[in-house]
Amino acid sequence: MAALALYPFVYALLVASPLGTEAETLLPRVDTMVGVFYFGLFAMSFDFVSGYTGYLSFGHAIFYGTGAYFVVLAANGQVPLLAPGTPFMLMLLLAGLLAVLIALAIGALSFRLSGVYFAMITLGFAQVAYVFVRGWDYVSENPKDGVAVSTDVHPGGFDVGVPGIDALNLEIGRLTGDTVEFLFVSLSGTEVSYYMVGLVVLVCYLAMQRLIHSPFGTVLLAIRENEERAEAVGYEPFQFKLAAFAVSGFFAAVAGGLSGGYGRSVAPDSSMYFLVTGDALLASIIGGFGTLAGPLYGRLFDETVREFLSKRGSGGGLLPYLRDHLPAGVMEADLVGGLTVGGAIETFLNGHASLYVGVIFVLFVLYVPNGLLGTVRDRLGGTVAKQLPDYLDRYRRD
Amino acid sequence: MTGAVLTPLFVDALGEFFRPGTLSEVFVNGLSKAVLYAMIASGLTLVFGLLGVLNFAHGSFTMLGAYLGGLVMVVLVGSATGDLARVLFFLIGTLLVFAAIGALGGAVEVGLIRQLYDRPPIYQILLTFGLALVLDELARIIVAFYGLQPITDWRDALGTKPAFMVDNLELAGLTVSPLALFQIGFGVVTIGAVWLFLTRTRYGMVVRAGSEDDEMTAALGIDVNRVFTTVFALGSAVAGVAGMLLMWDPVWGASLPLAHETLLPAFVVVIVGGLGTFRGTVVAAGLVGMVDATMTWWFQNAITFTGLPEMMIFLVLVLTLIVRPQGLFGVEEVGGH
Amino acid sequence: MLRTAGLTKRFGGLTAVDDVDFRLREGELCSLIGPNGAGKTTFFDLLTGALDPSAGSIELRRDGEWEPLTDASPAEVAQAGVHRSYQITNVFPERTVLENVRVAAQAAGPNDWKGWRNANVFEEHIGEAHRILDRVGLDALADQPASALSHGEKRQLEVGIALAGDPDVLLLDEPNAGVSSESVDDIIDLIADVARDHAVLLVEHNMDIVMNVSDRIVVLNQGAVIADDDPSAVQGDPAVQRAYLGGYGEEDDDGTPTSGATAGGSEQDEGSNGGTEGSA
Repeated sequence: MAALALYPFVYALLVASPLGTEAETLLPRVDTMVGVFYFGLFAMSFDFVSGYTGYLSFGHAIFYGTGAYFVVLAANGQVPLLAPGTPFMLMLLLAGLLAVLIALAIGALSFRLSGVYFAMITLGFAQVAYVFVRGWDYVSENPKDGVAVSTDVHPGGFDVGVPGIDALNLEIGRLTGDTVEFLFVSLSGTEVSYYMVGLVVLVCYLAMQRLIHSPFGTVLLAIRENEERAEAVGYEPFQFKLAAFAVSGFFAAVAGGLSGGYGRSVAPDSSMYFLVTGDALLASIIGGFGTLAGPLYGRLFDETVREFLSKRGSGGGLLPYLRDHLPAGVMEADLVGGLTVGGAIETFLNGHASLYVGVIFVLFVLYVPNGLLGTVRDRLGGTVAKQLPDYLDRYRRD
Repeated sequence: MTGAVLTPLFVDALGEFFRPGTLSEVFVNGLSKAVLYAMIASGLTLVFGLLGVLNFAHGSFTMLGAYLGGLVMVVLVGSATGDLARVLFFLIGTLLVFAAIGALGGAVEVGLIRQLYDRPPIYQILLTFGLALVLDELARIIVAFYGLQPITDWRDALGTKPAFMVDNLELAGLTVSPLALFQIGFGVVTIGAVWLFLTRTRYGMVVRAGSEDDEMTAALGIDVNRVFTTVFALGSAVAGVAGMLLMWDPVWGASLPLAHETLLPAFVVVIVGGLGTFRGTVVAAGLVGMVDATMTWWFQNAITFTGLPEMMIFLVLVLTLIVRPQGLFGVEEVGGH
Repeated sequence: MLRTAGLTKRFGGLTAVDDVDFRLREGELCSLIGPNGAGKTTFFDLLTGALDPSAGSIELRRDGEWEPLTDASPAEVAQAGVHRSYQITNVFPERTVLENVRVAAQAAGPNDWKGWRNANVFEEHIGEAHRILDRVGLDALADQPASALSHGEKRQLEVGIALAGDPDVLLLDEPNAGVSSESVDDIIDLIADVARDHAVLLVEHNMDIVMNVSDRIVVLNQGAVIADDDPSAVQGDPAVQRAYLGGYGEEDDDGTPTSGATAGGSEQDEGSNGGTEGSA
């Protein structure tokens, strides 16, 4: 995690170095990293309930969507009793609390079921919400395409920091965020967003981490491993699962709120649809189910592959790199039936990261069920942060 | 959410809805949706009942069936092809799709799903979910390579319909869609064939015995693995054939989103009917089809909320799971709830 | 300590537990025996709240008052001070041995909902877990995952989890099930030891153990109590011999009840059950 603190500087340095184009091709842009952060938080919240209690919350997107819609609608003055100028941090908190209420209502009805049935009922609730916001004309004239933050109603940005104290706030946003000049450091708007979104995600991660290692968290683990026995020693599993679901809903909504604030818009297909939950699932499995930090790395992996194989050249991907570095003759060379090398890359690689990520996902499910972080932990015998120094130490002495 | 109140418009619509003409129109539409849902969902429920796997890639088989069927039709049918020949080609295409998607399903069971039977059910959901991603993206690559728009309906395939299916018929004051009638006839035959397979053939009996108790089946000296593969292949093949039918239907059409558009209602149908019961699935398909057709009519005529049919279908799912989690015909223990 | 009145459980047409009036007194070790299918496990499930009775009541005596326990959930029964062990090992397999007992000990205290402090801060639960592990003879294995234990050790852990949280009543469901003959003595010592400071209801197939450790024996047959007396009286009870012991007593060399049933006794019980039905 610590390595992430310096990423924007490392990225800038590498891109400016002689190996700049290679770095640009391989590494995710800082803008992409902001998305990795907030979506990684969503995936962690999914992992918090599904990885730690064993109940697959297949409708988790409802909480992410709730957060995103709440922030964007609040900023547009469309949430009753809430002024458009409400501090962003307060909006996030309120969005989280709203998600807690929704989670308690859904959970109370859903946790009477388990296995496939639990996955299906949560999916059902989320799809009802998805269809609803997709057709809800209060949101915007064309609810199917979602809604953007209006610059008339909400000209300002979204401040992350201590509400009410200007000096302790910085604005996030892809193009609109604050820039910082401090001593010899200068940060662009995207880089400021990187740190401020990253800060919120870090705080949320630490909070969930604390919960996992608390007495409450040990009960969740007991329930995951043997619900019958957990009940027999005196825990009401229903209450603990419901509480875990509510906590998870809270952080999912914060993640959604961050995405709404950073992107200044929300659309039903990228917030409430069941494939959004699918993306969290993907990140969790690749990163490591039941490891909390794992899903963030899973998302990082996912996004890195996507950017590497992206259709657009911005941020550097495989195709622009090859165009620049291979002679035109190679790119235009015929493979079969008029298909050139460049055309083949365009056809089979670019824009089709889902295929390769999907294949990797399937391989992980089959052969690496503990995911990246889980497997590393199993090998080292403890959390990475705790064990790595010892491990390296032993290595050095040998 | 406008218009969903008791306005004069709403009362008018109510009167209109209960006209015999409207009711029969809605009934025929509902039935055509019902047989399609039953075709897609019966494979899902058989696979779940026997293998315990909830297959998220099932809708992708339907989508692939639609494209493959469309390809057969586009290749075979020219502008001069007569109606009878088109129907004949459709039947040939059906057999091809049945064989191809069935083979794909069998390969998936042998190559992937079989490795996970001893793991918790969550892993099978994950695996088939990943498989769906891969199949959908492969289809996108191929479709885009041939210059088609992956997310909109395949126009050329729609155009291979016989002329008599294109326009609605006026029959004794009723508006009837010949395409819907064709779908109903075709679907009833397919579902009937699956039903006969399950109840009248030795192999089908084994399948039904296996879905109740696979250890018992194994004890009877039957190769359970082969039964599993056959059932998975059969379920996939029928889902593919359903896709072939949808390829002619302008409401659906061959497109990538078809995978999800069919998967989600099929999930609703199998849960509402009771996971693992063929009879329940057929009844639930009828129910969901009718809800869908009714709500589609209301959306077109009185209520301006676009997602009305879909929303009602998911509400049926949620309410079933709240009130009767084992479904209409389900056994309580199946699937662990 | 714990009593039932008219306790009945019907499954469809089958009456698994039939109008049972039962009383467990303070500080005693009472054994519940009977042929397989006699309703012992169903009776256990009723007492622990895993099943709801069709009729009758369950009450627990606490602070001199009888409190109803009939409709309590398993968690509420445990909270009230009645803990159980399982016939088939039922632990938290991937947690350590210590964590298995610690999480059980934590259930009794006021700390289980605390989410903001590390579980290791609550030393009282860790201390209790170590004391219990010491008592059941597993403290040396405290840091092993439970799945790595031998079968006999898992049986000891079963009892350890039940002991956590200082229960008043212990319901032990065949703590010897499947234990090799060398380890049986350890478990007998353990049962005798925990009986000194708890009221214990023991389900056990091994007659040597039952006759040795019990203060009192209750015999269940076809869901009903057919005998309730001290060991020697039960041993001589003709109704018990007929219903429970007679079946294999005839086949065995001398027909004395104490020698027949051992660790492998359940198969013989099957036989005796069939014999009972035949004669009745």
